Parts: sequence; C-alpha cells; structure tokens
Amino acid sequence: MRLAGRHLWLGLATAPIVGFFALPILYLVAVSLKTKDDVLDGHFFPTAPTLANWPTAFEAANVVGFILNSVVVSLLAGLLTIVLGLPSAYAVLRLKIGGKWLSDVTLSSYMAPPIVALIPLFFLLKATGLLDTRAGLVLIYGFANVPVAFWLLTPFLRRIPVEIEEAAAMDGAGPLRTLLQIVVPIIAPGIVATFIIVTVLSYNELLFASAFTFSDATRTLPVGISLFQGDRLVNFGQMAAASLAGIAPVYLIALFMQRYLVSGLAHGAVK
Amino acid sequence: MTAFTVDLPRIGESRHSPRSAVLLQRFGRALWIAPVLLALAVTTLYPTVFLLALAVSKSTLGKPFRGFVGIKHFATTLQDPVFLSAIGKSIAYALSTSLLQLALGFLIALLFTSLLKAGRFLTSVVLLPLMTPPVMVGVAWKLILAPAGGLLNGTLISYGLISQPISFLGDPILAWLAIAVADLWQWTPFIVILCFAALSTIPDGVHEAALVDGANSWQRFWHITLPLVAAPLSSIYLLKLILSFKLFDLVYILTFGGPGFATTSAGFSIYRRAIEQFDVGRAAAETIVYGLVIGLATLPVVRLHQRFERREI
Repeated sequence: MRLAGRHLWLGLATAPIVGFFALPILYLVAVSLKTKDDVLDGHFFPTAPTLANWPTAFEAANVVGFILNSVVVSLLAGLLTIVLGLPSAYAVLRLKIGGKWLSDVTLSSYMAPPIVALIPLFFLLKATGLLDTRAGLVLIYGFANVPVAFWLLTPFLRRIPVEIEEAAAMDGAGPLRTLLQIVVPIIAPGIVATFIIVTVLSYNELLFASAFTFSDATRTLPVGISLFQGDRLVNFGQMAAASLAGIAPVYLIALFMQRYLVSGLAHGAVK
Repeated sequence: MTAFTVDLPRIGESRHSPRSAVLLQRFGRALWIAPVLLALAVTTLYPTVFLLALAVSKSTLGKPFRGFVGIKHFATTLQDPVFLSAIGKSIAYALSTSLLQLALGFLIALLFTSLLKAGRFLTSVVLLPLMTPPVMVGVAWKLILAPAGGLLNGTLISYGLISQPISFLGDPILAWLAIAVADLWQWTPFIVILCFAALSTIPDGVHEAALVDGANSWQRFWHITLPLVAAPLSSIYLLKLILSFKLFDLVYILTFGGPGFATTSAGFSIYRRAIEQFDVGRAAAETIVYGLVIGLATLPVVRLHQRFERREI
C-alpha cells in the first residue's frame, strides 16, 4: 500500500513535467491541422480538423528539398567528423601521441562561440568557391564537430581493457589494424551514438547555414523554415506542418537509437 | 602504460636504417593526430588570426582588408552603448538561465532516479526537445505566444484572467522571458540526462549505510548525494554556460533582436553587423571583445570545477 501511494505521488509530480515538454510539439501538430481562421482562435484543439496545410506547405516552399539538403549535409558531415575524430582520440588515449595539450586545446576550441568563426569561414568558403554549396557546409560542420566527437569517444575508448589491444599487438597487428579490427567493433555503440549526436547537431544548425547558403538548392531545413516567417502573411498552419516534417527524421532516429543516445550523452559529458 | 604502447613506434624498423626509422616513426605518429590538427587549424587557429587582421582593417564582406585602421574598431566597439548592453544582457542571461536549468534539471533527475525503471524510460522521452532543431522550438513557442490567436493568450482570455491579448514578444522583459522559456524547454532535458548519469554513479551502499546510521532523507541528500555529484554538476553548469553564450537561433526566430534592440544578444548583434550591414571590420572587433568577455565570465566556473575535481582525488 505504502509503495503504491509513493508511486502515485511520484506519478503526479512527473505528469506536469512530461506535459510541459510534450506541449509545444503537440501544439505544432494541432496547429498543422487547423484552418486559417481556426489558427487565430487561441484554442488547443482544431474545431474543424483539416489536412490541407500539409500539401500546401510542401507546395509553398521547397520543403522536401530543404529536408534533403539537411539530411545529405548532416550525414556526410557526421561521417567526416567520425573519420577525423576517432583516430585522434585513439592516438591521444592509447598511443600517447599529442598528450594532454591536444585534448585540452581540442576541448577549449569548442568553448568559443561559433559566431567567432563565422566571418573568417565566410571568406574561406568564398576563396575556395564553396560558398553556397552543400560541400562547403559538409566540410565546415565536419571539422567543427571534431571536438565533440573527440570528447564523446574518449570515455568509450578508455573502458576497453588494454589487454585486448596488447594481445592484438603481440599477434603483430599494427595500431591502425588494431583500431579498425579490434577497437571499432568493441566500441561500435559508442561510435553510433557519437555519429548520431554530431549528425543531429549539424541537422539543427542555423547560424552557419543561414550565412553560407542563399539559394533553394543548398538551403538546409532550419534556414528554409526561418524563411516562412519572412513573408508578411505568416501562414502558421503551413509553418507548423513544414516544421513537423523537418523534425520527423530526427525523432525517428531518436526513437530507434534512444538507448545508445542516452549512454553516449551520459558517458561523454559527466567526467 | 604497458609494453603495448612502448612497442608501437617500432613499425618498419627492420626495413630501414635506425635514423630514417626514427623519422618515419615520428611522421607516422604525427599522421594519427593530423586530422584533429587540421580541424583545429580550420575552425580555431585560422579564424582567430583572420579576425585579428580584420579587426584592424577597413573591410566589407565583398572586399576585406582595404586599409589599416589600427584600434579604431575596438575604440568604437567599447564606446557603443548598444553593443555593450548586448554583452551585459548575454552574460546575465547565460549565468541566470544556466543556473535555473541546472537546478531544475537536477531536481527532475532526482525525481526520475527514484522512479527506477520508469525513470530510464522518461530520460528517453525528454531526449526529444534536445533533438528538436532550435528553429522548430522557436516556431512552436512563437505559435503558443502569438499575440492574436496564440494558445497562451487564448487560454488566459477564456479563463477571464486577461481581457486584452498580451504581446509577449513585443515587450522587452516578456520577450526575454519567452526566449528563456524556449531555452529551458530545449536544454533542461539535456541537463536531466547528464544529472541522471551523474546520480547513477553513486554506489548503492553509500545510501544504505547512511540509512542504517539514522540519517533522514534531507541529511542524506545534503551530506552524501550533493557532495558526490558536485564535480559533475559544476562541469554540467560550465557546459550549459558555454551553450548559452552561443544563443542565436531562438533570438533569430522569436524576436529577431527586438523590440528595438531589447533582445539583441551579443552573438546576434555581431551576426547582423557582419551579414546584414557588411561591416566585418567592426564585427571582428566585437567578436574579439565578446570572446574575451566569455573567457573571463566562465573562468570562475572553471576554477570552481577544478576545485571540486581535486577534492575528489
């Protein structure tokens, strides 16, 4: 009985918290189902639910194109980040190359706000002809997230017993082979978690994307959505529909990968 | 470490004379960290040098470095009340919202920890705001706070609490509150997850021992739980502080810096100066000033964190 009472109490405390964190997304869903008049009504539920906003949002703006740009750019950037970050994290931790200064510099570089790099990177992309290209964004995001990957991967690497790698070295495997054939399979969940996190960071990024892209062919989703409100007549229903379509890919990832994600975030940051 | 790490540099030894083998070794070792050095060069070293050069020159987005102007941009920046107040607001915002979110996130994590299995499920649920692009967070909150027809105004009016809709984003203080609420919505879950992880590292036996000794729940919290998670909490605060200093997206979507310049954060101000007014020389000077201010503002937290960490060893 006492246990049941305790659970009831905890449940009552939890409900408003979960409600608060669910509300904005649920409201986006509700607004996306409202007619234009209904939106200006101030009620949560649509009085005459309609799906009309969904197709019109996709017609009004190149939403599919924006999502595709975001998906392509963030996936490639995520891959680049892992390819750059994994060997360095391994080298610093296990091969004792670079030492403490490298991890310190890598981490502190992430503390500078991205606005610092905005102007110089603008000129770099302009000089290399990569301004307003998806390749330019891939390179920038790929490089910029290396500290994050470094930081998230290190605890996973640290937990591998050194003996396993020693055994591989005894058998004549070089460090690169040890990394690829022994270490990578063991920490695969950590690599997946790190990949997802850096990919989502790129998918959600607005500052660089809005400064470095200016045509529909390269605009990412956050930039595309922010354009919706540039119009004098903001169509809230369409904006909500387009936003939900853009969130969907990330939520699907989160749904399938939640276990990896929580452990990836948890191990990366609390050290 | 062990024989393993000592043995590694001997790659290719048999095929080369000792001296070239040493060189090859060095090169091979440097190759391992070349990627991260390249990334640091592109995202940190090059921008810093370039910014310094821009800050002392007459530059536009179209034509950089059209002449040396010395410290003129720095002088203008330090005398610009709008920018200085933007910096002040950014610092106040970062320090206070991070502290609030840390407290709230820690409380929720404590609650979830006592829910055991359900708690693990809930930590996954609160992952969603973190995964939501800040732009969409802004859109969702803009819809809720809209003066005409927003959910909040509609609800307040239908309960008779107000008679006229309130323009939440049109009032300087309410607009900051709106940004803070959206920020809290987005980032508190992240803090919950990190605090949850920190709490789960406390061995079970510690609490049981205290329970046997007759400590009540407040004493256990104050004398056991809190000291054990002080170091991770300070590092979480530092992390959130850094994220808050980067505030841009929510301002961009919710208020675009307005009304007037009321919610213009330092980052947003620099963005507009550079990308909309093309005055990159002055924007570069502002960036450097802001970077230094962030460094100074986070220094006490870094020191505190170091103190907690040392105490643990």
